[in-house]
Amino acid sequence: MSRYFLLLLLTTPFILLSILSALTKYKLGRSTKKRFIVQFITWLLVFIGLASAETIYIWLFQHKLTQTEPLSLFDVIQISAIIMIFYIANRSRAKIETLEKRMQDLHQELSIRLSDKNRNK
Amino acid sequence: MTKKEIKYKICIVIPAYNESTAIGDVISDVRDTFKHCDYETEIVVVNDASKDKTGIIAREQGATVIQHLLNSGAGGATATGLSYAEQNGFDIAVTMDADGQHSSKDAIKGIDELIKRGDDLLIGSRLINSKGMSKAKIIGNRGLSFVTYMLFGIHSTDSQSGLRVFSHRALESLRWKTSGYEFCSEMLWRAKQLNLRISEYPIEAIYTDYSKAKGQNNWNGVNIVKSLLRRRIAELMG
Repeated sequence: MSRYFLLLLLTTPFILLSILSALTKYKLGRSTKKRFIVQFITWLLVFIGLASAETIYIWLFQHKLTQTEPLSLFDVIQISAIIMIFYIANRSRAKIETLEKRMQDLHQELSIRLSDKNRNK
Repeated sequence: MTKKEIKYKICIVIPAYNESTAIGDVISDVRDTFKHCDYETEIVVVNDASKDKTGIIAREQGATVIQHLLNSGAGGATATGLSYAEQNGFDIAVTMDADGQHSSKDAIKGIDELIKRGDDLLIGSRLINSKGMSKAKIIGNRGLSFVTYMLFGIHSTDSQSGLRVFSHRALESLRWKTSGYEFCSEMLWRAKQLNLRISEYPIEAIYTDYSKAKGQNNWNGVNIVKSLLRRRIAELMG
């Protein structure tokens, strides 16, 4: 199996999951159209870059624009890990933000209710 | 609807953190000025977990005190005050700084203007007439207004002003995510997203030695810009 194909195989699930998650958020009204488009284009560019990595490398090599070695197995693992980390980091950030907002709302509501109680005493 | 036909319920929200020196005077000034108005008013001080006697003094002065359990920042305290106003059926809310920087006459002027113009969010701009303001403050505030314009496409001469007037529609719908001083710019952005009517009116900034010492310095502006940039990127990424 080509190492470039292996790279695509390892990273495609994360790209698809990200696009699916962005689409779901948009369809459920939790995200704007503009935000969905930006997310979709970002992940699409990542996918196109990975899918055409071999073609780009050959073209660059033939035109003497690069002299690096072709993709090694280590490179495949490293790039897959970077994509995975990017995916996890983005999801974690979104979850932390949601929790932070919920905590803020809870604190706000609690403060108002407690103050009302104090006032009625 | 005119002012005479309906007695508007006005909530004056004052977010405060360690303001025991000025809060008493601010509340009594607001109370005395609004006494001569046709509005039904309530002064609400959101004590953002102050370490001094801010809450006690505010209560002694007759204000409703909402005690934050944790320090949440200016954005968090303002959100709590406006949420209180919404839950208690106020028609209009006004936010003012607790350091005495704003004149309560300007607050009344803002309410009158909001009713007259039919706006949803009215910003009291210190920079339409920046007399009395230091050059450093003018540069800092203009810089942040420029950043707000570049990031969110909203033109405001004073995007960081704490004197703001909100309609009931704004109270019901306007929410923001940041809790520090950057909320001032984010609030304008959210208002724009909600298609609320935003406008400005000139106010006078009262700078005493105390308010100068308490106020933001331009280095804090760097943090505000960083936070706004993060918020803008995060909004795009999900």
